[in-house]
Amino acid sequence: MSSYEAPIKELGETYLLPEGTTANDVTEAIAGVTENPAPRGWWLLFLLSLSILGVMGAALAYLFYQGVGVWGNNAPVYWAWDITNFVWWIGIGHAGTLISAILFLFRQKWRTSINRFAEAMTVFAVLCAGLFPAIHTGRPWFDYYLFPIPNQMDMWPNFKSPLMWDVFAVSTYLTISVIFWYVGLIPDFATLRDRSKNLVRKRTYGFFALGWRGAHRHWQVYERAYLIFAGISTPLVLSVHSVVSFDFATSVVPGWHTTIFPPYFVAGAVFSGFALVMTLMLICRTVFKLENIVTIKHLDLMNKFMLGTGLLVGYAYAMEFFIAWYSANPYEQWVFFHNRLGFGMLDENGNWGPLWWAYYAMVFCNVVVPQIFWFKRARTSVPIMFIASILINIGMWFERFVIIVTSTYRDFLPSSWGMFHPTGIDVLTYLGTFGLFFTLFLLFVRWIPMIAIAEVKGTLPGAHPDLHALGAHDEEPGAAAVAPVPAE
Amino acid sequence: MTRRNSYELSPGKGPSMWRTLEDKNTDPDELKRLAEEEKPGGFVTDLLSPKTLVSRRSFVQGSSIAALAAGLQGCLRRPENEILPYSKAPEYLVPGIASHFATVTARGRDALGVVVTSHDGRPTKVEGNEQHTRSFGGTDVRAQAYVWDLYDPDRSQSPAQRRGNALVNSTDAAFDEALKGLVKKHEGDEGAGLRFLAPISNSPTFRRMRGQVLAKFPKAKFYTYSSIDDDNVREGARIAFGTTVYPAYDYAQSMVTVSLGADFLGNEPGSTVAGRQFAARRTITNPNAAMARLYVAESNYTVTGGMADHRMRLPSRDIERFTRLLAAELGGRGVQGLASLSKSLDSTDREGIDTAFLRAVADELVANSGKSIVVAGSGQPPVVHALAFAMNQALGNANKTVRLSPVIDESDTPSREGIVALAAEQASLTTLFILGGNPVYDAPADVKFAELLGREGLTSVHLSSHRNETSERSSWHVPMAHELETWGDQQALDGAVSVQQPLIAPLYGGRSAVELLATIAGEKAANGHDIVKATHAEAMDKTTSALLLYGFNPQGLSEAQVWRAGLHTGVLFKPGVGQGGVQENAFAAALASAKGRSTKLGKGNFEVTFEPDPALFDGTHANNLWALELPSPMTKLVWDNAALLSPGTAKALGARNGQMLRLSKGEGRVEVPAWIVPGHADNSITLTLGWGRTAAGRYGNGKGFDVGAIRTSDGMSFTDGVAVEVLGEKYNLVQTQTHDRMEGRPIAIDATLDEYKAEPDFASYRSVDPVSTPPLWKQQDYSEGHKWGMVIDLNGCTGCNACVMACQAENNIPTVGKIEVERGREMHWLRIDRYFVGDDENDPEIAVQPVTCQQCEEAPCENVCPVNATVHSPEGLNDMAYNRCVGTRYCANNCPYKVRRFNYLDWHGHLDDKFGWYKDFPESRKLQFNPNVTVRMRGVMEKCTYCVQRIQAGKIAAKREGRFLKDGDIKSACQQACPTRAIAFGDLNDPKSTVAKWADVNRNYKLLAEIGTRPRTSFLARIRNPNPKLKGNG
Repeated sequence: MSSYEAPIKELGETYLLPEGTTANDVTEAIAGVTENPAPRGWWLLFLLSLSILGVMGAALAYLFYQGVGVWGNNAPVYWAWDITNFVWWIGIGHAGTLISAILFLFRQKWRTSINRFAEAMTVFAVLCAGLFPAIHTGRPWFDYYLFPIPNQMDMWPNFKSPLMWDVFAVSTYLTISVIFWYVGLIPDFATLRDRSKNLVRKRTYGFFALGWRGAHRHWQVYERAYLIFAGISTPLVLSVHSVVSFDFATSVVPGWHTTIFPPYFVAGAVFSGFALVMTLMLICRTVFKLENIVTIKHLDLMNKFMLGTGLLVGYAYAMEFFIAWYSANPYEQWVFFHNRLGFGMLDENGNWGPLWWAYYAMVFCNVVVPQIFWFKRARTSVPIMFIASILINIGMWFERFVIIVTSTYRDFLPSSWGMFHPTGIDVLTYLGTFGLFFTLFLLFVRWIPMIAIAEVKGTLPGAHPDLHALGAHDEEPGAAAVAPVPAE
Repeated sequence: MTRRNSYELSPGKGPSMWRTLEDKNTDPDELKRLAEEEKPGGFVTDLLSPKTLVSRRSFVQGSSIAALAAGLQGCLRRPENEILPYSKAPEYLVPGIASHFATVTARGRDALGVVVTSHDGRPTKVEGNEQHTRSFGGTDVRAQAYVWDLYDPDRSQSPAQRRGNALVNSTDAAFDEALKGLVKKHEGDEGAGLRFLAPISNSPTFRRMRGQVLAKFPKAKFYTYSSIDDDNVREGARIAFGTTVYPAYDYAQSMVTVSLGADFLGNEPGSTVAGRQFAARRTITNPNAAMARLYVAESNYTVTGGMADHRMRLPSRDIERFTRLLAAELGGRGVQGLASLSKSLDSTDREGIDTAFLRAVADELVANSGKSIVVAGSGQPPVVHALAFAMNQALGNANKTVRLSPVIDESDTPSREGIVALAAEQASLTTLFILGGNPVYDAPADVKFAELLGREGLTSVHLSSHRNETSERSSWHVPMAHELETWGDQQALDGAVSVQQPLIAPLYGGRSAVELLATIAGEKAANGHDIVKATHAEAMDKTTSALLLYGFNPQGLSEAQVWRAGLHTGVLFKPGVGQGGVQENAFAAALASAKGRSTKLGKGNFEVTFEPDPALFDGTHANNLWALELPSPMTKLVWDNAALLSPGTAKALGARNGQMLRLSKGEGRVEVPAWIVPGHADNSITLTLGWGRTAAGRYGNGKGFDVGAIRTSDGMSFTDGVAVEVLGEKYNLVQTQTHDRMEGRPIAIDATLDEYKAEPDFASYRSVDPVSTPPLWKQQDYSEGHKWGMVIDLNGCTGCNACVMACQAENNIPTVGKIEVERGREMHWLRIDRYFVGDDENDPEIAVQPVTCQQCEEAPCENVCPVNATVHSPEGLNDMAYNRCVGTRYCANNCPYKVRRFNYLDWHGHLDDKFGWYKDFPESRKLQFNPNVTVRMRGVMEKCTYCVQRIQAGKIAAKREGRFLKDGDIKSACQQACPTRAIAFGDLNDPKSTVAKWADVNRNYKLLAEIGTRPRTSFLARIRNPNPKLKGNG
């Protein structure tokens, strides 16, 4: 992976941001979103999200009042949409850390336009994800049994249970993601503080800016801290979804009991995370007119990333089938060839597995759709990538549904085979998490710089120490002086 | 009264917690006075002895008894007469310790001896009585359902009188007054116009009372009517023997059994003892042991058919031809007594009946003379029964495998004739007592019983447990007491007489038929106890050898002692079986008069067979939640009945599962959804009775389909000439098991006897236990102490469901309703998997397998539970800690056997109607709960515990007695209920235990052993014993 330090003109490369963009332009564009009155689009979206959040509240109240039976979960499908949604949201939460941490370590400067965004998304997605394990229990008021809290019963949780590992993995991930996000925000909070025109804003942003003055010493400490957190976050990107995949991989259920799951889940998570970042980015970019900061070039790179992870996921799908066939395990073969593929193994009544369509939906969205990104025209077309990113998100949801439901609904003993039908409450709970996510997200774009101001400035042509040697335009003498210190 | 001074803490004196009476006051007189205050009438003096006084425990005990007595005075129910506990009895009513009482429950003309567990005066569980010769410790489904009926919240709670078109609540006093009036009225006319209609009874006291009533009212008449009757058996016996006798079979002596439409392991009377005996010759542990063979000819697939080695599916009406041809074949083999008949029999049409099959059966019967049984189904016409008697006689089976019951009740009218005759009497009827039953619902359609009751000038009195369809049309309804509430006596078909002991005073003040008759007859004895005792007084006085006194020497016992002993053991008089010779000459006429073969079955002319429902029976249990949610043994349908038909017939009709069919015969028509049963006879449809009730109660109303409209007095068990129309609409039928095939997996493993001989260890080869590849971690050592295990013998299991119901009753398992079953949320801890085996979907074999928690030593459920709510006990039990469970359901996902059950909703409590449930949980039903088993709340996982409460009780009992546990001390509920003794439970570390022996039998295997779960439950693979001469059929 070559670093994007500066474009190599000979290769036809250009700067990420259009030439002529000044540091002030960046500050104005990004900080302005938090300072100007919200556009009507924001209000519409916010009220919509808030209503959906309300729906979720109602669905949860009903769930707590009646019990998990209001969902479609049954025997043998004891987990269905609840855990599907959990894994899906957790997966989505992966892009943020990946973009912030791993791409940071690889000095991929193009990440700067999207990392804040992606990190926020991570935090909110993990919150949405964390909701499901908490509410899917039969007696949620005893959820605290899952935490190793010293108690009079002298009972510890079962540290052998992958669900227990989940608790640690997800809570660690959430903590680190929040801290990492916050550390990155400090210089930008300072910018907002400095631009504040009323006392409340000043005090509030001032509080979160932790007395940031943009001193060299601050920058030095900041950069070091950021690097350390990037270092801590990087293994988490791999570990969280690996641990989540252990929920399945360590079980005995055919279709779950698969050693390929950890890398497969991580690839899928990055894949879906990028897709959702893309979807949201395209919307915000249009609503807040940030086309100059999040450019087609950024999007093109992201699309390449999705193509790559999509291929990885496709490989994992193929490998599962190979192993099922190669293992000669009749139960596993049944799950893959009958439950998932549908044909290939008809049951004795000559029937396809009734949920075969979920598998095809997944393959179409996750393997077929990303292939369009082999073409540059598709990679640079906003409508195409918008549709593709949504399809990939749907496909990744189906991936989890396929793994969870189409493994359990027909497993070892045919006498216990069942079927799964979701209920309205299932749908409302899932939709409701979008309410939670978008409410938080809209509040974020409204009140917090949605793009890392300081970091974007670092990618401006003027920020480069060898500006002149690289042949940048001399007409912009101010540019080099501005970055990376915040304006004013 | 000053309240509880003794509770006040005196500051500064001694410890401030755990105050005792002694702290406050050490004067014994004062203590006594205080205690008197707590419970007027005084304590058991032991509690006040100085030794016990000092303990806090005794004080709390005492005061809680007092509180209980004060608080529960209204509802603590104890029978007024002395009843005797079973032999395991503890002292009377020690709170928390169950008592066991022997009693008996009616099965038509038969009786099943049972032992009922009572907790603090509440009967909670029914077990078989090991000393009763119709039970030997086993029970059937109905016996297990029985205790639910007692607490049915919809039982009638007071007499009611008809005013206009409605029943209006009345009082016992008002009814007694009315009864007096009726008696007085008929005293004048000697009972002319006074009629009684009673279900088939097995009660000597009933017969005595009937005699007394008839003596008082000579012109009165008694009629008998039961929807499920034994008219054919009686008539068949009359043809064969010239008298009304009933056969009693001994399957344990039979090497070859031929069933002519007889579901003798299922719906026929005596199925419990039949199961015990049948299994005795089937459950072999050595390939060279003699194994009995079973041939079945039947239309519907029954549990008996499922056990068959060869099954011929024939429409019910063709079984008569089969029987005639079989008799002819036997006659042709020179079997004495049949030779003369063989000529007239041989002319029978052979169409559709495989001659090779007939010959093979005949050869086998001849070869096993004296140790074979030909048994005819009670739905088959009399001539089939007569021929079956003749064949048994001719084969020398009489008095060896087939005995005659000593029960002779000549004055009893046959059921169908009875109800027709009653209806014909119309004009002369003035007073009609209906002593139980529900003829408006289940009388033949042509009798039009509802119209009869509605006739002007007829006073009808209906004695019934519920205000059912008949009550609604009667002038008076009187609540009938449950069998567990009243005294009675019952004689089993083998002659054993048992006393029906009440365990609880009538909950709603009902009375029994015997008591009502006694009142009408003017009997002096006021209560049931005295009436029943008087019936047997004379016989008891004789103290002859007819008395069955286990462990008692009858010599020199007084009447009272005999009575006590009879109550104690549950058998008052020993069974005695009669003998009789077949009158050969009677056959010719009977055979000639029997109608010949009628029109060909097929389009426009279908046969319909009526069968009692396996759970609801004739509708008696139609409001019983356990019965409603009990999966039908073959179809696995719950909450509905259906028109069962073969795949071929369904194809011909163009009907799919759930599609509504309109069956019409004459004026009658019924609409029932179709359900395809592989192995059902073609052109024949089976309808089960007991469903579609309109006045059963809150649970049973409107469930299923009433098929009575096409059931007429000339076709009570089956009828042909039924037209079938396929309707467009579909009905949602719900099964607990939706997939019928094993998909080639080694699950319910079976082999033929030949295969078993060739490879005695076949089962463990098919389901390989990877014992040689131990897990990576150190395994628990279970070689010390107890090691609980279970072995289920698939050779014995018929799939009858008795264990499922027993588990439900024992473990407070809730029912969930049809909609929730459809979602797969049924709660049965023990389920019976039923698979169809074989390639021919028209004629498959059946494999059944009870599956419950396998108690894996390497339990996949345990290590995935995040909160340690399911953990292993040192004795190897996979325990559930309900109050630790948060309900992540991970354990259930990881259970390969899918035996864990999750309380998705609050099954015991209030739920919305849209969940297909009922708003309240009736108080009366709470009385049924087993206090030793937690009632689980919503959100909690549960599963089979091997009846851990029974294990603990057994261990405690052994410890108190200072002895080691011995095999049989602890029985799981399923094991105890099983009529075929197919379940062994016990300590695998005890080499003498049955379970340890069975675990070593060569056909033992563990289900899904290759996963490495090391289950404690194992199975004995089923051995089929097909006749080698009948290749490809069986």
